[in-house]
Amino acid sequence: MTAQFTHLDLLESESIHIFREAAAQFRKPVLLYSIGKDSTVLLHLARKAFWPGKLPFPVLHVNTTWKFKEMIAFRDHWVKEFDLDLIEMTNHDAIAKGMNPYDYAPSVYTDIMKTVPLKAGLDQYGFDGAFGGARRDEEASRAKERVFSFRAEGHRWDPRRQRPEMWRLLNGRLGAGETARIFPLSNWTERDIWRYILREKLDVVPLYLAKERPTIERDGQILMYDDNRFPLKPGEVPVMRSIRFRTLGCWPLTAAVESTATTLEDAVAETLGARTSERSGRLIDHDQVGAMEKKKQEGYF
Amino acid sequence: MTAQPALKDSNVTPLVQPAAGAVADVAPELSGMLRVLTCGSVDDGKSTLIGRLLWDATDLFDDQRATLERGRKVDGGNPDFSLLMDGLVAEREQGITIDIAWRYFDTKTRRLVVIDSPGHEQYTRNMASGASHADVAIMLIDARHGIKTQTRRHAAILDLVGLKRVILAVNKMDLVDWSEAKFRQIEHDFRTLMWRFGFREAVAIPVAAVSGDNVAERSKHMPWYKGPSLLEHLEEIPSRGTEPVGAFRMPVQTVLRDTRADFRGLAGTISSGTIRVGDTVLDPVSRRTAKVQRIATMDRDYQEAVQGQAVAIQLDIDLDVSRGSVLAAPEAAPVVARTLEARFVWLSETPFDKKGSYLVRTATDLVPVTNIEIKSLLDLESLAVHPATACKVNDIAIANVALGRATAIDRFVEAQETGSFMLVDAITGATIAGGTVTAASPDIQQQDNVFLLTRAMLTRGLCSDIPNTPEGEAEFRRRSNEVALLLRSAGVAVEVESLPDYVI
Repeated sequence: MTAQFTHLDLLESESIHIFREAAAQFRKPVLLYSIGKDSTVLLHLARKAFWPGKLPFPVLHVNTTWKFKEMIAFRDHWVKEFDLDLIEMTNHDAIAKGMNPYDYAPSVYTDIMKTVPLKAGLDQYGFDGAFGGARRDEEASRAKERVFSFRAEGHRWDPRRQRPEMWRLLNGRLGAGETARIFPLSNWTERDIWRYILREKLDVVPLYLAKERPTIERDGQILMYDDNRFPLKPGEVPVMRSIRFRTLGCWPLTAAVESTATTLEDAVAETLGARTSERSGRLIDHDQVGAMEKKKQEGYF
Repeated sequence: MTAQPALKDSNVTPLVQPAAGAVADVAPELSGMLRVLTCGSVDDGKSTLIGRLLWDATDLFDDQRATLERGRKVDGGNPDFSLLMDGLVAEREQGITIDIAWRYFDTKTRRLVVIDSPGHEQYTRNMASGASHADVAIMLIDARHGIKTQTRRHAAILDLVGLKRVILAVNKMDLVDWSEAKFRQIEHDFRTLMWRFGFREAVAIPVAAVSGDNVAERSKHMPWYKGPSLLEHLEEIPSRGTEPVGAFRMPVQTVLRDTRADFRGLAGTISSGTIRVGDTVLDPVSRRTAKVQRIATMDRDYQEAVQGQAVAIQLDIDLDVSRGSVLAAPEAAPVVARTLEARFVWLSETPFDKKGSYLVRTATDLVPVTNIEIKSLLDLESLAVHPATACKVNDIAIANVALGRATAIDRFVEAQETGSFMLVDAITGATIAGGTVTAASPDIQQQDNVFLLTRAMLTRGLCSDIPNTPEGEAEFRRRSNEVALLLRSAGVAVEVESLPDYVI
């Protein structure tokens, strides 16, 4: 007798296994929720792992206050629907001091508005393990990432201290001051995420689908005019375009693509047909050579 | 019956006909997955071979293709295929202790996961950890040089971690004038070498990576070779998870409850064999049995589940089993072991320390170690065993491990997932070695009197001031380990009672 597993079945089982293993081994884990497509899949798998029980950990969202409005609405809807325990972290001090994504380099902004409050949240609540949606196919520096990735005191990622992983065994025992990042989607690709969203009929933020939205074209990239904090240059006027997003982040830093794909099927067909890797739409990754590498060493996910 | 249906078609009708091709075209669900380890050195053309395979047979992104095209000039008309696998200088300079890079590609029918590990002799541990995740290994050699000691060393490591399928890719056939005699000699040497290992399948394929001969397409230069190309062979190998082997095992990860319904599910991933509703299962430690009442998941219940599936099993009676237990087929139960004989791949830069505190992490259990006795080291060149009492990084050691309490474990040859373990440093938490069980015994190994430092002893005086908080727990661990270290340096064999590893 032979079972027929598709590759998504295999990936799903593996992710559920990782969730259960981490929840049992770590004293106080948390799920990092960023509202995008990867987080949607991550949350869905977590629910499967602990069904029929409730998620045995809270979800943490780092809100820069520059997230698309539709993202926050989507988040609040599902938090209620799934009865999630949501923790929101925002760097209010930095906002009060005038931090914004326009006047500062993306790398500085990301550090201050994402990495700093993320670390603060983990410290404040004493989380010793944090689930994230990172995948090995995302970027070169992730290709060698472990499923359980360890951080020294201060959340520093030290390549020399990463633990070898063999077979299906996962070792989450922490040394003094250590915490861990847990990546249940390690072996998924961008295609798998979309295929799975279609297969499981998951809802995603409507921004992934094409719609007439107010936009500004700048340096060859289309940005969405989500609210009037967008500092218009002389001559710039928001123009309505049919656009959608391939990845979601802070709206001033996330470029859109022109599209007429108004259904998820169309959007996925278009995204996967485009045949370029996804992060080309994220401005922070182009900021400096080895940007992701550096962010990671400083404690970014 | 099939365990899980393949959902290939979406039930949603699109409002607008897609312009860029239907979802089924760009996002088909693949019928399987294969993890492929590549071993061999850069000189053998490893990166070029894998690059060529991916170029010819998979779905490279346009920007990846462009990167390869940029190397065209320096390589006599062909794209520089090696750039795909090792063109990332910054990445290689990260200095990660154990380097395994994972890359993902889709052929028309399946996902190929290429696990790449450096192949130099000093990287035994890299290859061992990489191979432990793989379904098949491609061992690459240069046709001009034939089988080398390195090939033998690689085969020994692959066998050690339980790999069952190997492919010998005899590369650079163009440089030996596509000689059949040359290939047959290498193939003969390969078979001679392989018989002593436990591989289920070992095939040799003559290839030329640069020109693509026998990589995806059959070669026109070697009409004497009637076998499959490398890609054809990779597509014939059964996918992960399609070959349930051995007796039923499910290490219990956690217990899931539903307070509204009367549900208590033992959650875990089936690590070997098959289970059906109505089957009797055994908890080896308590020796109690129960019948499977329900095999549940969030999506639906199953009548039958197999190796690789993550499920929650409800039993007809409450066996009081929890995390660390292994549900097993009663007629072929694991050993409830106090002593293991094992083979380690020593992964840590820190050598074995007779006075160190170690833990054994099995599939879901974490057990204190009372004693490790290194007996010998395996010489990967000669495959001979030499008596030894110490071991260090990259060594393969044969050792006896005495456990502080009994745990359910298998012999690795019978059940890989429940027959392998990690050796963990109790103080730093670091992963020290990967081990496979060669023998397990319920008997306690003869050893000197070991003093057990219990939690009760520690809380009474030394740790009485510690608050009941996470920080307190860390401080408790620190103090108990310090006491153990002091006692050990005074020559007292000591064991620290472990804190519970988890809270249910």
